[in-house]
Amino acid sequence: MTDGAACSVCDSLARARAGDAAAFADLVRRHQRMVYSLALRMLADRHKAEDVAQEAFLQLHRKLARVQSGAHLLFWLRQVATRLAIDRLRREPRHESVPLEEDPGIASEPAAGDPLLQRHLRALIGELPPAARAVVLLRYQEDLEPVEIAEVLDMPVNTVKSHLKRSLASLRDRLGGTPGAAALPGDRQVP
Amino acid sequence: MSSDLDKPLREALRAVEPPTGFAERLAARIEREPLRRRDWRPARRWAPQALAASVLVAALGMYGWQLQRERQGLEARQQLLEALRVTGQKLDLAYRGVKDAARPATAGDAGA
Amino acid sequence: MRVPEDMRTPITSLLALVILAVLAQQAALAGDAKLALPNFQALESKASETVSITLDSSLIALAARWLDSDKPEDAAARRAIAGITGIYVRSFTFDSDFAYPQADVDSVRKQLSAPGWQQLVQVHSRKEHNDVDVYIRVDGNKANGLAIIASEPREFTIVNIVGAVDLQKLHELEGHFGIPPLDLTNKK
Repeated sequence: MTDGAACSVCDSLARARAGDAAAFADLVRRHQRMVYSLALRMLADRHKAEDVAQEAFLQLHRKLARVQSGAHLLFWLRQVATRLAIDRLRREPRHESVPLEEDPGIASEPAAGDPLLQRHLRALIGELPPAARAVVLLRYQEDLEPVEIAEVLDMPVNTVKSHLKRSLASLRDRLGGTPGAAALPGDRQVP
Repeated sequence: MSSDLDKPLREALRAVEPPTGFAERLAARIEREPLRRRDWRPARRWAPQALAASVLVAALGMYGWQLQRERQGLEARQQLLEALRVTGQKLDLAYRGVKDAARPATAGDAGA
Repeated sequence: MRVPEDMRTPITSLLALVILAVLAQQAALAGDAKLALPNFQALESKASETVSITLDSSLIALAARWLDSDKPEDAAARRAIAGITGIYVRSFTFDSDFAYPQADVDSVRKQLSAPGWQQLVQVHSRKEHNDVDVYIRVDGNKANGLAIIASEPREFTIVNIVGAVDLQKLHELEGHFGIPPLDLTNKK
């Protein structure tokens, strides 16, 4: 976040805390993409993702006084979004999810790289256990370091690293074992 | 911890915008919040100064505590590693002393 | 077997007393493994450098949370501290040889002559003027404490480790922290 952007968020935060609805809407606009995407990748269901994302912002609205800075806001939203999503996953059985490929919101995004591989990866990530899934998302969607992920999820750093290592190994294995799956860069060609 | 999957994963997990109307639906939910919460919104009827100040202090405390916990944890780790380093050094001294004492006194001994 | 009501309270009290006695004994044993280190004011006033580390079980647990298993040193540390409930280090460096008074050193050595402590290694190097004593505290057939007193010309160090000291794990520190292979099973 640049200094200018950070000051702008702080300004909106201060005004939102004072009750300025437009300022709160600005905070939502700035962070909705991140919050919604975390929920979407965790839940693999557009409707549930929107529900969780809105709940996260509702909680923010109720607890604005606790948020002290733009960085804190980012941390707080990531933490609340993943926790709400994990809680939702634990409450509801997985087979109720709507496949992401049917979601027009996703299909309309212009894709860089191999879209087939990306779709496959998203599906495989959707099958990871909730905690591991959250770790992978925070690492690759939010670009957080393991120490930062540990703080967001309130888990030991080594547990984070363990989740990452096992999840990547699992993804690699399952990608390699799928007929027609695109080869990863650097994959050896097995005769 | 880099991996051949890093780039494809980052591309696959690129953040996306929520469906159209997300902010409007959220605003509607906020409007439907119970009255006791709505009272918090208008600036003039915000919490009394003293209560707001104590909430601020609590919030600062909460976030400050998280930063402090990280600092304490990293410091404890440093101290632990230093303690083990010193322990190892002194055990090394003992080891060298034992090794020197076990060395045969005269050259040419077959030794035990 | 049903205990008659009028006997329950005395039996409960007796049981509580027995449990308390066992706990007190365990606490005493653990306490004995922890040396009473003096404040070493005399040493500190003469030292050019002081290292003072006090890690109880909660600080060790906190530190363990931040160990990075990708780093070999951290991984070795994690293995070494399993079962350890306290690590105490006092180390003093001086600008001239043997500038430190012996009284404080002797007060620690005296504690190591208490029951339970066994001297594992005693090294005196005339050439390098080093003295290193390694003690282990044994309860039954388990080690619950380690103490090292190292006197070098310009450095004096005491290390006290409390808890389930595992010589094998100490041995596994080799290659890390500058520790070479160490066999403490053959006492000299």
